[in-house]
Amino acid sequence: MSWVQATRLSRGLLRGWGSICGATLTGPPFSQVPPKAPRGLHCSATVHSSDSWLVPLPPEPPRKPTKAPAQHEELFGAAPGERDKASFVRAVQHFEQRSARKRGHVDFIYLALRKMRDYGVERDLAVYNLLLDIFPKEVFRPRNIFQRMFVHYPRQQECGIAVLEQMENHGVMPDKETEFLLIQIFGRKSYPMLKFLRMRLWFSRFKNINPFPVPRDLPQDPVDLAKLGLRHMEPDLSARVTVYQMPLSKDWTGAADPTQPHIVGIQSPEQQAALAQHNPARPIFVEGPFSLWLRDQCVYYHILRADLLPPEERKVEEIPEEWNLYYPMQLDLDYGRSGWDDYEFDINEVEEGPIFAMCMAGAHDQATLAKWIQGLQETNPGLAQIPVVFRLAASTGELLAASPGLKEPPPPPPQSQEEEEDNLQRQERGQS
Amino acid sequence: MSVCVLFLRSAARSCRALAAFPASRRTLRTSPPSGAFAKELFLGKIEKKEVFPFPEVSQDELNEINQFVIPLEKFFTEEVDSQKIDQEGKIPEETLEKLKSLGLFGLQVPEEYGGLGLSNTMYARLGEVMALDGSIAVTLSAHQAIGLKGIILAGSEKQKIKYLPKLASGEHIAAFCLTEPSSGSDAASIQTRATLSDDKKHYILNGSKIWITNGGLANIFTVFAKTEIIDSDGSIKDKITAFIVERDFGGVTNGKPEDKLGIRGSNSKQLSCEVHFENTRVPVENVLGEVGDGFKVAMNILNSGRFSMGSFVAGMLKKLIEMTAEYACTRKQFNKNLSEFGLIKEKFALMAQKAYVMESMTYLTAGMLDQPGIPDCSIEAAMVKVFSSEGAWQCVSEALQILGGSGYMRDYPYERLLRDARILLIFEGTNEILRMFIALTGLQHAGRILTARVKELKRGNVTTVMQTVGQRLWDSLGRTVDLGLTGKLGVVHPSVADSANKLEENVYYFGRTVETLLLRFGKTIVEEQLVLKRVANILINLYGMTAVLSRASRAIRSGLRNHDQEILLANMFCVEAYYQNLFTLSQLDKYSPENLDEQIKKVSQHILEKRTYVCAHPLDKAS
Repeated sequence: MSWVQATRLSRGLLRGWGSICGATLTGPPFSQVPPKAPRGLHCSATVHSSDSWLVPLPPEPPRKPTKAPAQHEELFGAAPGERDKASFVRAVQHFEQRSARKRGHVDFIYLALRKMRDYGVERDLAVYNLLLDIFPKEVFRPRNIFQRMFVHYPRQQECGIAVLEQMENHGVMPDKETEFLLIQIFGRKSYPMLKFLRMRLWFSRFKNINPFPVPRDLPQDPVDLAKLGLRHMEPDLSARVTVYQMPLSKDWTGAADPTQPHIVGIQSPEQQAALAQHNPARPIFVEGPFSLWLRDQCVYYHILRADLLPPEERKVEEIPEEWNLYYPMQLDLDYGRSGWDDYEFDINEVEEGPIFAMCMAGAHDQATLAKWIQGLQETNPGLAQIPVVFRLAASTGELLAASPGLKEPPPPPPQSQEEEEDNLQRQERGQS
Repeated sequence: MSVCVLFLRSAARSCRALAAFPASRRTLRTSPPSGAFAKELFLGKIEKKEVFPFPEVSQDELNEINQFVIPLEKFFTEEVDSQKIDQEGKIPEETLEKLKSLGLFGLQVPEEYGGLGLSNTMYARLGEVMALDGSIAVTLSAHQAIGLKGIILAGSEKQKIKYLPKLASGEHIAAFCLTEPSSGSDAASIQTRATLSDDKKHYILNGSKIWITNGGLANIFTVFAKTEIIDSDGSIKDKITAFIVERDFGGVTNGKPEDKLGIRGSNSKQLSCEVHFENTRVPVENVLGEVGDGFKVAMNILNSGRFSMGSFVAGMLKKLIEMTAEYACTRKQFNKNLSEFGLIKEKFALMAQKAYVMESMTYLTAGMLDQPGIPDCSIEAAMVKVFSSEGAWQCVSEALQILGGSGYMRDYPYERLLRDARILLIFEGTNEILRMFIALTGLQHAGRILTARVKELKRGNVTTVMQTVGQRLWDSLGRTVDLGLTGKLGVVHPSVADSANKLEENVYYFGRTVETLLLRFGKTIVEEQLVLKRVANILINLYGMTAVLSRASRAIRSGLRNHDQEILLANMFCVEAYYQNLFTLSQLDKYSPENLDEQIKKVSQHILEKRTYVCAHPLDKAS
């Protein structure tokens, strides 16, 4: 959350609730003072001379995060052994007991936000509510029109927004209690509240927007993950998943024997029929690896495909004369559909060759994939006669190169943790 | 025994009378019948000659039929215990014997082969009685409507002489073996195979058939199997051939009996089961029709047997009305008989109306079929089947409703009737498939005739386009349509003239709509099943309207008993059907708000992609 964003937020707030100070809106936009300015007053604001809020500021030069231990670090560092929700909650309670006036609560909340992932509570709504509960109540609520007009207690509001933003990043939907807390802390017309309302609005809109949902918690076992990924890609529900080879060691993290990686394949009955009809004179190809992202995991798959038949070799599907005992399958008329009912015109179809099967394997070399083809031959006897060409891409992708072993490379999450922390720290520094 | 002797004698007499009858009728009708009433409807025309006046039988013939019917009715009401048949899942041996002695196994077998040689009309009349027990009706139909029909329709003289007499007497029972586990209506996926032996005298038959009614009981099977045929251009092709297979040929075994929802009387091992053929040697002379012609044979058999369902159902419904009326007039609630409640009365009106329309359609179709020549009434027969099976399901369900809780109990026959009625929507071609047949056959006919016109319109021929636009404008001004049913010399009686005008209007606009549909879709209309269904629905209504108008007019003019009731029923049905048709016609418009095709397709698409109901639970929350 940079200052630019805050500025935009404030702009939005003023627009959204323009009734408060409609006149001011017409004037030059307000902006928060830059971090350098003296910050004696909570509601200090100066008139910005340029329209810089319209244009995104150039990114700040990356500052090296100072590795000095943050305040209150000791609360979390106390018990390194057990890191779960209970100990997290204990740390928070400890903080509340330690300082009755809640001195340094903003720092503590930022720290706690950073620590959440370590404790595995980053998706726990109750914990977020607990963090918000640290804020003193009623203190930061604007009490008159001027306070309301400008950002009242900006640092605290920023901190509240940071909490909500972390919730947003982890897909945690705020609830009534969050709303109640925010109203108590910042009042109904405040930036965290605005953020809250936007989350309520858009989360519900976006939550089920993906027609191909991925389960929230992915299976840890690579075989299960491969099954899930293959099912995810295959539109035909009658398709059968086959495990051609189990990894020798079931241990996900341990050093499994690289000579026997897992091989999981999927094939639908239609693909099987198409493969049976394939002309053995034409080769088929094993291609890959292609990547597939399932939430924060990247898996790789291979396909078995053939080239598109040249037009002269395609068989036109004939309607047999004596097919349907009850009604004619085609009419003996020499005129077809008229333009009005012809919806084909705006569909641009690119023809591709058929895909006969897909697989996910622990290793992407030819030996492993040959085993897959061997396994496929059991259910597709015709495959033995067809030459198979392996067209494997050199593992140039950095993700691939990162871990050649059994374990799929741990891909960086969309916004890596470090970066996130860096952001948080930057915000803190900017304000303090 | 005296009953059946009388019966047989009267049967023989009636057949003689019948043999004389067509000749006399032929003189009355000068133009050759084309059997094209339904097809002409697609062009917005009514072939009056086909359907007016309502077909009649001569007084002699009527007397003969009644002599048939009375003892038969007595037998079914007094001696057949339907409940027992249903519970035990078996038709008792003595009942079967009695049926044989009554001659019910050879109703439509020509007289010279020992059958009764009944006309379609008379067969329909007897069907009303036979329908009093669902299981017996199914057994008899499977035997003669499809089982031995192949021999009558496509058999050689030799085959007829060899097989028909024993089949007609009931000594042998026939079964029709077409359905396979992998092949319902898809003839191309038939797996049973017949290969010619080395000495070219036998076919070796291998394969298995399922859901064969009479499968365990039959001695003669009509079996459809794939054979290799050398085409005219020298290539080898698989084609279907029909065979007459005797159980004595060897290698015929029965699989497990099938446990069914309804018609449980044919449940037992002997009556409905799988039939397996293992290296059965079928002599070459037992090929039915030509080698490779099996597809046409099967189609003809299936098309010919359908119309009779109308009279079977009508007979059942009339019985049902009697039983429920009895209940409604005696059961008291709130010091009133059930019969005094409006909602109960409504149900009786519905049942009467359905029965009336069904009867009219059936006997009109039977009359058309009985005309000399070989009229093609397959569309009409299919319409009768669809209408009557759906009517049966609806009426039995309403009857159950009148009974309330008692209807649900096994002590009463209603739940059995409901179960039995359910099969009607499925067998002899499911109603969905028959709707496709009705619509596509008609559209094929209309499409051929309109080819020139459609082509000119597509090319943008100014005269034709102007003509069409002018016609549409003229139509939109709400001109009255007159196709000549009413008026001074009209074929329809003035009491139902209003309804006749409604029919004319519907027919005219139906013709216009068909033209538009052909213009829009051309031959690709085969893929538009939702459109085809609506076309079929309209056509069924139109045929029903025509049938009741024709019948009611005749009833008034010849002064039949209670013809005022007929006028009421006819008018009621016509008004209902008229508004239904208007609605359906507007649904066939591309941009009409009633047309929900796109939405329907999307909804089912979502579901079928996921193979589950996709909506979130009403208690679910987004967060």
